[in-house]
Amino acid sequence: MIHLTDVILSITILSVLLTLGSNRLMALVKIIALQGVLVSLTPLFMEHHDKLTGGILFLTPITVAIKGLVIPAFLFFAVKKASIRREIEPIISYHASLFAGLAMILVSAFIVDRLPLNLPGSHALLLITGITTLAAGLLLMMGRRKGITQVIGYLMLENGIYLIGTALAREVHTLHVLEFGILLDLLAGVMIMGIILTNINRAFDDMDTSLLMRLKD
Amino acid sequence: MDTYLFSLVVILVGGILPLFTYKKFTVMKAACVIITAIGSFTGLYAALSFLIHPVENAVISWPWLHHFEIALQMDAMAAFFLIPIFFICPLATLYSFHYMHHEKQSGKTAISYFFSAVLFVSMALLTTANNMLTFALAWEIMSLSSFFLVVFDFRNKETRKAGYLYFIFAQAGALFLFAAFAVIYSQTGTLSFDSISAMPENMKLIAFVLAFMGLGSKAGVFPLHIWLPHAHPAAPSPVSAVMSGVMIKMGIFGIIRFYMLLAPAGEIYGQIILVAGMISGILGVVYALGVHDIKRLLAYSSVENIGIILLGLGLGMLGVATGNSTMAAFGFAGGLLHVFNHSIFKSLLFMGAGSVIHKAGTGKINELGGLMKTMPVTGKTFLVGAVSISGLPPFNGFVSEFLIYYGAFYGLAHGSSFLLPMLTIISLAVIGGLAASCFTKLVGVAFLGEPRTENAAKASECGIAMRISMVVLALSCIVVGVFPEPFVHIVFRVVSGLPIAATVSPTVFIDLVRNISLVAVLFLGILGITMLLRKGLYSGKPMAKGPTWGCGFTQPTVRMQYTGTSYAMSIVGFFRPFIHSENVYSGIQKIFPGKTTYKTKVSDRAESAILETVVKPVFWVLDKLRWIQHGEIQLYIAYIVLAIVILLLAQ
Repeated sequence: MIHLTDVILSITILSVLLTLGSNRLMALVKIIALQGVLVSLTPLFMEHHDKLTGGILFLTPITVAIKGLVIPAFLFFAVKKASIRREIEPIISYHASLFAGLAMILVSAFIVDRLPLNLPGSHALLLITGITTLAAGLLLMMGRRKGITQVIGYLMLENGIYLIGTALAREVHTLHVLEFGILLDLLAGVMIMGIILTNINRAFDDMDTSLLMRLKD
Repeated sequence: MDTYLFSLVVILVGGILPLFTYKKFTVMKAACVIITAIGSFTGLYAALSFLIHPVENAVISWPWLHHFEIALQMDAMAAFFLIPIFFICPLATLYSFHYMHHEKQSGKTAISYFFSAVLFVSMALLTTANNMLTFALAWEIMSLSSFFLVVFDFRNKETRKAGYLYFIFAQAGALFLFAAFAVIYSQTGTLSFDSISAMPENMKLIAFVLAFMGLGSKAGVFPLHIWLPHAHPAAPSPVSAVMSGVMIKMGIFGIIRFYMLLAPAGEIYGQIILVAGMISGILGVVYALGVHDIKRLLAYSSVENIGIILLGLGLGMLGVATGNSTMAAFGFAGGLLHVFNHSIFKSLLFMGAGSVIHKAGTGKINELGGLMKTMPVTGKTFLVGAVSISGLPPFNGFVSEFLIYYGAFYGLAHGSSFLLPMLTIISLAVIGGLAASCFTKLVGVAFLGEPRTENAAKASECGIAMRISMVVLALSCIVVGVFPEPFVHIVFRVVSGLPIAATVSPTVFIDLVRNISLVAVLFLGILGITMLLRKGLYSGKPMAKGPTWGCGFTQPTVRMQYTGTSYAMSIVGFFRPFIHSENVYSGIQKIFPGKTTYKTKVSDRAESAILETVVKPVFWVLDKLRWIQHGEIQLYIAYIVLAIVILLLAQ
C-alpha cells in the first residue's frame, strides 16, 4: 500500500533535485512554491497527529498560504522586476549539483541510520528528506550567483529544518511553537533578502551577489 | 511582594504609554512623570514596609521556557537597594520634564522614556533576583536599556563612540559575570542561589574574583572605570543622574550579594576589596581634579565614591574574616549608607550639571563662572551636593564616611590587623581632602566669580521641574545629614542579616549617630543665628557691591580669575606618576610679555594601558585575519556549513 506521506516525501525529494538541476528562475520559484505547500502539509499526515487538533487546523492553512503563496508571489515579482530569466555561470555546475544532491540523499540516509533515535516508521524517511532538503538548500546558496537563487536556497534550507522539526518533535504543542518560530524567521529572512536584492539590483543593475565584493574596503 | 510587583508594572506602563502618545509632547511627558511617580512611590512604600515589618519568605517564581525559572525574593538587602531606585528614578523623570524640551525630538524622547522605564524595572528586578538566571537576565536588560539611553543623541559622533565604549565594557563585564556563574554552576549543578555557599573554598575565590571583575566594571572600579568619563558627558543629564546615582550601585549590590551568598572564609576577600577601594578612591578623585569638563569630573568622582563604598565593604569583609564583629558591622553599615547617600548627592550634582549645560551651553568649567548669581537655585543646591560629596558635616556624606572611619579605628584599636585599617584611614583622609579641593574647584570656578564667556553670562535659571528635583535632593542631603538615626536603623537592619553582625547591638550605632545629630543641629543653629545677626547688624547700613576678584582694580578682567586648571595644577602635579598630563607652556620672555599660552591635558593612565595591552594586540590579530572576510557570500555560507560539520563531528 502506498502511504500518502511517502508520496509527499518523494515529490519533495524530486523537487529538491529539480531545483539543483534547473537554471530558469521562474521555474525555480514555481518549484519552491510546490515544495512549500508539500512541506507544510506533511504534519497533517504524520501518524501521531491523527487527532486533528484546533492548532493544526488553524496553523496549517496559514503555513500553506505563506509558503505556497505569499513568499513565492514575492519572489515572482522580484524576478519580473529584475527582468532576469536564468542563472548563468553557476559556481558549482548543474551536473555536479545534481550529483551532489544524489550523494546527499545517501549521506542523509546513512546519518539517520546512525543516529541513536528510535523513530516510528515513516519518521525516518521524513528525517532523511529533511536533511537532504536542508543540505541541498545550503548547496544552492553556495553554488549560485544570483540573489534570487540564494533566497530560494534559503527557503529550501528552512523547509528542511521544518521537516526535521516535524520528524523530531514528540509533542504536538512543541511542534507548533517550532513551526511558527520557523515561519516567522522565514518571513523576516525573505523580507530582508528582498530589500537587499532590490538594493543590489539598483546599485549594480544585476542581482549577482558576487558584485557585493566591490563594497569591501 | 504584590505591591512591589504592582509598582513595577505601573512604571513599565508609564514607559510604554509615551510610545503611543508622543504626538502630544507635553501631555506625554506629564503622563510619564505622573505614572512613574505613582509606581515609584508604591515601590518605595513596599520596600520601606518590608524593612520595617519584614515578611518571611517573600518569594515569587514562575517557570520560563519550560526548563528555567524566574525567581524573585525580597529581603532586607534588596529592599534597601530598592530605596534609591524608587527615590531617584521618579525625580530624574520629573527633571527630564523640562530637560527634554525639544518638541521636534518628541519621538526620540518617547523612546528614551520607554528605555528609562525598562532600566528602572530591570534594576528593581536585579535587586530581588533569586537565581543566577534572573540575575543575568535583569543584568543584561539593565545594560542594554542604559546603552540606548546613553546614545540618545546618536547623531553626534562622539556620543556614538561613547555609547560603543560603554557597550563593550558592559558586555565584557557581563562575560566575566557569566564566567563566574559558570564556575558556580560547574560546582553546584544548579542555577539557584541556595547551594552556593557549599562550594569548595578555592572555587569560591575564583568565582568571586570573576564576579568582581564583571560587577566592578559596571560599578566603575578603577582600571575598569574607563566607560564612565566617556558615557556620562554623552548621555542626557537625567540619564547620567540615574546611571551614576543608581545603576553603578547595582555593581556594588552584586558584590555584596555574591559575597553573602558565597559566605567565604579568609581575609583575602576583604583585602581585594580594600585595595580596589583605595585605588579607585584616590585615583578617581585625582583624575576628577585633573579634568575640567563638569560631567567628566562628576564621573570620575563617582569612581572615587565607589572606592569609598568598597573601603567600607572591604572593612566589613575583613571584620567578618577576623571575627571582629563591630568592625564588620560598621564597615558594612558605612558602605551601604554611602551607597544611599551617594545616590542622592551624585544625582543632585548631575542634575545641577545638566541645568548648567542646558542653560550655558557648555560643560567646560573654564568657560563658566558666576552662575551662582544667575542660577541661584541650581547654584545653591549644587553647593549642598558638593559639600555632601566632600564628606563634610552636617551633610549626609559625612555620616557614612564617619561610620567607615569608626569601623577602621575600631579595627585598629582591637587588633584584628594593623596594616589595612591603617591604610583605609589614610586613604579615606586623602580622598576626603582631595574631594574637598576638587569640589571647591568645581563650585568656585563654575558658580562663583565672574562669567568667563558670553554664554555663561547669559545663563538663566532652569525650569521649575528641574528645580523641584534638585531642591528635593538637596533637602534629602540635609535631612540625612542632620537626622541620620532612622537611616542608620534601616542600614543596621540590612547588616544584621549578616551572621557575624548579629552580636553587635544597635545601641552602639544609635549613640554615635545621636551625637552626630546633636552636633549637626548645633552647627545649623549657630549658622542660623549668625546669619540672622549679620542681617540685623547690617540692616540700614550702606552696602556697595563690586565685581568678584575686583580687589581695588578699576578695570579687572574676567581672565584674572583662577581657572580650574591653575587651581588643580599643583595637586595633579604631585600625583604625576599616576596621572599623565601634557603641558604646553609658551613661557614669558620680555619685560612686557606678549601673548602667552598655557595648556594642559590630562589623559587616563588606565585608558592608555588598556589601549596598549588589550586593544592593540587584538587589532593586530584581527588585522591578520582580514583575508577571511573577502566578500564572497557563497564562501561565507561555506564557512557556516564547515563550522556546523566540524561541530557535529566533534560531538
